[in-house]
Amino acid sequence: MAVRRAALIALIALGAGSLAFDLSLGARLPSDQDWAEAAGALRGAGRAGDAVQIWPPWAERARLFVDAMPVLAEERLDDADFMGVQRLWMLSLPRTPFFRDPGAALRARGAVPAEGRRFGALLLQGWDLRLPEVAADLTRASEEHEVDYVARRCVRVAVGGRFVARGSAGAALHVRAGVIGERAYDAGRPEIVVLVSADGLGLGSLRVPRTERDGTGWRRLDVALPAGASEREFQFSVSSPDAGRPFCLQAWTTR
Amino acid sequence: MDHAVTDKALARWMGFGTAAAMALTQGPVGFVRDEGYYFTAAQSYEAWLRLLLHAPLAAVAQTERFWSYNFEHPGLTKLLFALSHGIFTTWLGWLPDTLAWRLPAFAFAGLLSYWLCLLGMSRSRAAGVLAPLLFWCAARTFFHGHLACFDIPICAMWAGVGVAWLEAVRLGTRRSGLWLAAMYGAALAVKHNAWVLPPVLLVHALLQPKQLRKTELLRIPWLLLSPLVLFLAWPLLWHDPGRHLRDWVAFHTHHVHYAWWYFGQVLRAPPFPVIYPLALDALVLPLPTVALLAAAGVSLLAGFARRRLDSQRLMELGLAGAALLPFLTTTTPVFGGIKHWLGFAALLTPEAAALLARVAPAPRQLAAVSLAVLAPGLWQIAHVHPYGTSAYGELAGGIPGAATLGLQRQYWSNNVTAVLPWLNAHCPRGAPVYFHEVNVESYRAYVASGLLRADIRYAPSPAQADYAALQWHREFRDREPETWNAFGTHRPAAGLYLDEVPQVVVYARPGLPGAP
Repeated sequence: MAVRRAALIALIALGAGSLAFDLSLGARLPSDQDWAEAAGALRGAGRAGDAVQIWPPWAERARLFVDAMPVLAEERLDDADFMGVQRLWMLSLPRTPFFRDPGAALRARGAVPAEGRRFGALLLQGWDLRLPEVAADLTRASEEHEVDYVARRCVRVAVGGRFVARGSAGAALHVRAGVIGERAYDAGRPEIVVLVSADGLGLGSLRVPRTERDGTGWRRLDVALPAGASEREFQFSVSSPDAGRPFCLQAWTTR
Repeated sequence: MDHAVTDKALARWMGFGTAAAMALTQGPVGFVRDEGYYFTAAQSYEAWLRLLLHAPLAAVAQTERFWSYNFEHPGLTKLLFALSHGIFTTWLGWLPDTLAWRLPAFAFAGLLSYWLCLLGMSRSRAAGVLAPLLFWCAARTFFHGHLACFDIPICAMWAGVGVAWLEAVRLGTRRSGLWLAAMYGAALAVKHNAWVLPPVLLVHALLQPKQLRKTELLRIPWLLLSPLVLFLAWPLLWHDPGRHLRDWVAFHTHHVHYAWWYFGQVLRAPPFPVIYPLALDALVLPLPTVALLAAAGVSLLAGFARRRLDSQRLMELGLAGAALLPFLTTTTPVFGGIKHWLGFAALLTPEAAALLARVAPAPRQLAAVSLAVLAPGLWQIAHVHPYGTSAYGELAGGIPGAATLGLQRQYWSNNVTAVLPWLNAHCPRGAPVYFHEVNVESYRAYVASGLLRADIRYAPSPAQADYAALQWHREFRDREPETWNAFGTHRPAAGLYLDEVPQVVVYARPGLPGAP
């Protein structure tokens, strides 16, 4: 009898709790007005070198409203490059289920927060990323391609071909590369290798194996540049026994 | 006897009510990718039926020509779609094309309710009413009840074969044996899932006490007649049946693995997580339903371990387990949400309903607890329908929680219906639109049904389109940057966002009507 009564109460509580969750979910989500006000604030405060990062990264409804600066949907804030971004506006939905505060990852990489502002269910917070200044955007991509499920500003380079660019050397060279789209996961494919040189001097190589686990497909190489000319010719030679996959490359130098 | 008749009448009403509910709510349900193929198949089969009426010998001679399309699925449901369309649209002109094709699916949904009600009714009248309600009060199951596909039909036949088996054992008559053969034959003629049913019945028989075991084993041979139904309902087999049967089997034993997003990883190939189907059921169904189905599973397993299951409960356990088992092997394709093992949840509902009725024996208590248990599912339907493939339950944190957890956003492309009115209102005459996952068959169905303007053209890529309706899929993330590059804008023009989560995003080339 007691067990039956306990089960009855538990079921009613479970049903009522579930319904309460369902009915209250809408109140934890932003309205059109919240989005419009946040977009208006960004319009007022934005300056060159700003970008908006949405959080969680699925909150892409922001693209309907935010028109003052690029909208980024990086999935890993701890190692996203944010190339060329000086101030990052974190536009988040902190009351959504399983929300993880993005602040910890940004602080860990040395970013410094400014005061946050709430627009209904949205939180907008500026972050000074304190990234080294970009000396040269070597790839200067006008297009974007998806690699590892994030839109990357990178140039397509045919496997077997090379990409050459001239630019300020700065102190360090940063190379990123990966296979576009689902072909990155093609089983049994050989790795793709990018040989990197500046003014004929080999700087290293970036190996891009077949992606086996999501989140590992956008490969990175960061090298300190040896002393030399302030402007150099950088060459990126891409090779693999399998030339059939679409390959994307991004490179820049920092001071 | 009177009471039994009344019980059956109640079950029939549950069935009619279910079919009517599906018919009344099907309007906004988009045409899923597979329906596009089955509509095309039904058109071909209807042409064959017309030939059969006018020139039977020619029709028999030309089965290959009309029935080769969609050879990978047997004929019964598609034949019913064709018959329904032939009668209600072509002949009588009463129904629009797509509603006529879907009509038999509603009948199967009704049959499922009927059989679940009968199984529940053997415990109590309340359990009989609650069993189908527990199954249908969820956005995912409710959604599948509308489609001219095979998932609800095979789920219904799963229950139907169970009921027919119990009747054949109980009555022991030739008629009941023939009915069992017909039911299993119909299941075979609906979908290949039915291949696993004979072993379930055999094991059921072997697990019975000696006398009953013999009775049940003597029922098994009736199943030898079942392939006749498959043969009759699938004219493709009338010529060169060996080759067509081999093709059918080979298609499913070598089925492609479609990408599927699961806890932040895209599953592309085996081995899949062994817990996958159970986890998915728990994540997509309303939490009280999950709890009750879990309790039902534990109750049946505990009864089995203690050897206290009667024949019917043992049958329900066997059928539920058999629906799930292939997906626990870690090698069976896992795409399609929970639709491939709907029989698992369905066959647990009679026990779940009985448990619910047991904790609340007083009518008012039962009404209160039933309302509490069913209300989240009813809300889910009201909130999400007709976008059932996007639905997630409370355990997943609803649709936003599921997006954060990295779970499949949607599938089958039917959510595109949300943006068709926008396209109709804004696209210039003859505008090419990239519909992404919407296949050309479904596109034609949208045009034929009047949901999409006939002049709007189907573009094969964003580069060849002026508008794009992108369905958010993890494995197709490259389509959005591709569209940005082609259109020169990052700003969508419109979209379907469920609880803020993008499902379908519409882009327009700058300067065109509707572009931001």
